[in-house]
Amino acid sequence: MRYGPYAAAARLDERLGDPQDDGRLFSYARCAALDEGEEFPLEICRELDFLGLPRAYVPVEYGGTLLGYDEALQLMRVVARRDLTVAIGHGKTFLGAVSVWTSGDAEQARRLGAEIAGGTIVSWGLTERDHGSDLLAGEVRAVPGPDGSGYRLSGEKWLINNATRGHQLCVLARTDTSGGPRGFSILLVDRRTLDPASHRPLPAVALHGIRGADISGVAFTDAAVPATALVGTEGGGLEIVLKSLQLTRTLCASLSLGAADQALGLAVDYANERHNFGRPLVDLPQTRRLLTESYADLLLAEAVTLVAGRAINALTGELSVSSAITKYFVPTLVDRMFPRLAKVLGSRALLVGDTYRHGRFQKVQRDHRIVGIFDGSTMVNLHSLVNQFPALVRGYRRGRVDLAGLQAAATLEEPLGAFDRTRLELVSRPGSSPVQALPLAVEELCELAEAGEVGTVVGTLATELRAATDRLIEQMAGHRPTALDVPAEVFALAESYAACFAAAAAIQLWLRNRKAFGSDELRHSGLQNSELRHSELWYSGLWLEAALTRALALVDPTLRTELSGEVFDRLAVPLFAQHASGRLLSLLPYPGEEESA
Amino acid sequence: MTTTTISSTTEIRDWLRERVAFYLERPIEEIDSAARLVEYGLDSLYALTLCGDIEDEFDITVPPTLAWDFPSVNAIAEQLHDQISEQRLADR
Repeated sequence: MRYGPYAAAARLDERLGDPQDDGRLFSYARCAALDEGEEFPLEICRELDFLGLPRAYVPVEYGGTLLGYDEALQLMRVVARRDLTVAIGHGKTFLGAVSVWTSGDAEQARRLGAEIAGGTIVSWGLTERDHGSDLLAGEVRAVPGPDGSGYRLSGEKWLINNATRGHQLCVLARTDTSGGPRGFSILLVDRRTLDPASHRPLPAVALHGIRGADISGVAFTDAAVPATALVGTEGGGLEIVLKSLQLTRTLCASLSLGAADQALGLAVDYANERHNFGRPLVDLPQTRRLLTESYADLLLAEAVTLVAGRAINALTGELSVSSAITKYFVPTLVDRMFPRLAKVLGSRALLVGDTYRHGRFQKVQRDHRIVGIFDGSTMVNLHSLVNQFPALVRGYRRGRVDLAGLQAAATLEEPLGAFDRTRLELVSRPGSSPVQALPLAVEELCELAEAGEVGTVVGTLATELRAATDRLIEQMAGHRPTALDVPAEVFALAESYAACFAAAAAIQLWLRNRKAFGSDELRHSGLQNSELRHSELWYSGLWLEAALTRALALVDPTLRTELSGEVFDRLAVPLFAQHASGRLLSLLPYPGEEESA
Repeated sequence: MTTTTISSTTEIRDWLRERVAFYLERPIEEIDSAARLVEYGLDSLYALTLCGDIEDEFDITVPPTLAWDFPSVNAIAEQLHDQISEQRLADR
C-alpha cells in the first residue's frame, strides 16, 4: 500500500534534488553558509514558490490544493528535513493566513488564496514585547477611522516571523479599550497599501537558532486600515486565534519530524563511517542502542503526527486536546533525542563549519529549539490540557468514542472527508477518542496476541498501558479544578496523559493498517504466513512494540518493566535498511525516485 | 438536573456562584453576582471549561464562550434560564 501524502512529498523531494549535492540550490552546504551569514534563504524560498508549494497552504475551496492536512504536514516535513530556517520562513505564510481559513468570509479567503498562489507572503502578528503568551494583555489597538469607516492601527507587534518580508500581516488588535475575551479582533493588514509613514519594521533580533530567519517586529502609528480588513467578527479575535492555533500546533509536528530525520540520519552515518580500535562504532551495542531508541522515539512521534494530522479533518471537535498534545509531545520527544545522538557523534556534534557534514548536527539542534516555544510553548499546551481534565476524565469513564471519526483518523487508506471549519471547538466536549477507545483497543490487541498474530509481549505492554491509564485518570480526577495557580505536579499528570494519547494513537494506527502494510512486507520478503518474522515493522508488530515500550515509560516513569530492550536491537534492521536506501526514516514506505515520478 | 421542573434564575444563580467560588477557592459570600468574572481573576481560557459543568448540571448544550459573552453570574444565569425554558418548551 502507498501512503498518498508520501507520493506528493516524494515528488517535491525529487524536484528539489539531492541536498548532499553542493551544486543544488537547496543543498545542505548552502543552508549552512546562509546560517553562518545570518542570511534569509531567499532563492530557496523562491524555488519553493516556483514549485507551487504556496498553493498547498491554500484550501481547495479558496483556489489552492490543500484538502487533507496530512499532505500539508508531509510537504512541510520534506522541507524541514533539509533546513528548518527554510521550513519556518516559507511555511509561515500558512500561519499568517490560517485565521482567514478558519474565520474569514469566502470572498476574502478567495482573494487571499489567489495572492498566496502568486507568491504573496503573509505573516501573523500575535505577540508583543512585554506580554508574550498573554494575548489579552496586548496593547496594539485599532480604533474606528475618523470618518467612521475602517480602523486606525497603532502599537508594536514583536517577535514576528517574516516581519519585514511579509506583504500582508494578520494582526491581533484591541478593538474594545476595556479588552477582555471579546475585546480583540483580527485585521488582515495589507502593508503594501499603507501610508509608508504609518508603519515601520523593528530591528532584526539576533538568534541562537534559525539564524537566517526574518524575525523582528512591526510598529504601527495611526495606520489607516479599511473595514474590509476585519477577519470574522469584531471582538472575535481571541476565538479566531485559539481555533487557528489548533491547526498550526498540529502542523508544527512536521518541523520536529524533519529535524529528527536529519539528526538521526547524521548519527547513523557517523556510526557507520567511524572506526574506533578497528571496529565501526555501529557495532558497539551501546551505540546501536542510542540509535535504535532514537528511532523508536521518531516512530512514536510520527505515529502521533499521522493520527493527529488526519484528526484535523476527522476528529475536528477534539482538536483542542489533540493539538495541545501534539505540540507538547512531538517537539519535546525530539528535543530529548539530540543529547542522546550527540553521544554517538562525540565532538562532531559540536563542530561548526565544514568539519563534519557542514556542522549540520549542532545546527539542527539549535534550529529545533524554537519549535517547542512558538505557537504556544510547552507550558501553555500542558496548561490547556489541565484545564480540560474534567472532560477527559468524564470521557474516559464513560468510554465515549467517536468510532467513525477515530476510524477515519487512523485508517491511512481511507480518503479523508473535507475539513469543516464550523466543527472547530474551543474545548473538546467529548474528550479524546483515541484515549477513550484504549480499553477496547487493548482487548483487540490481546486477542490478536492470543491468536499469534502479534507477539505476546505486545499484549502484555498494552495491558500494562491500560492499567497505567486507569490509574492516571483517577489521579487526574483527584485534581481539584482551579482557576488559580496549577500545582507543578499536575503538569506532570498532563505530560503522562499526552504519552497515553501517543500510545493510544500508535495502537489505533497499527490495528487499522497492519493488514495493508503487513501484507506488503510479506510479499516483498517472500515469507510464509506461519513465519512470524521479527524485523518487519508492521507484520510482526515490531514498531508498535518499540513505541509502546517508549510510551509506557513516559506514562508512568516509576514503572520498571522487566523488558530487556531487545526490541530495540530488532529495530536496527529496518533503521539501517531505510537509512542505506536514502529514504525517509519512517513507519511507512517512502517512495524511491523511480516510484515518485 | 434531569427533572422536568425548570430551575428558576435564582437557583441557577446560586449554583453558578457556588461553582465560581469553588474554582477561585474563595467563600461564596465574596462572589458578587453582578461583578464581571474577570475581575475575580477568572482567566478567560479557564472560563471556557465552565461550560462542561453547566452542560452536566442542566443537561443542555452551551457554547464554551458563554462566559465571554455573558461575563457575570447574573448574565449567565439569565441566559441559561432562557435557554432551558425554550428547550423544555420545544421538548414538549
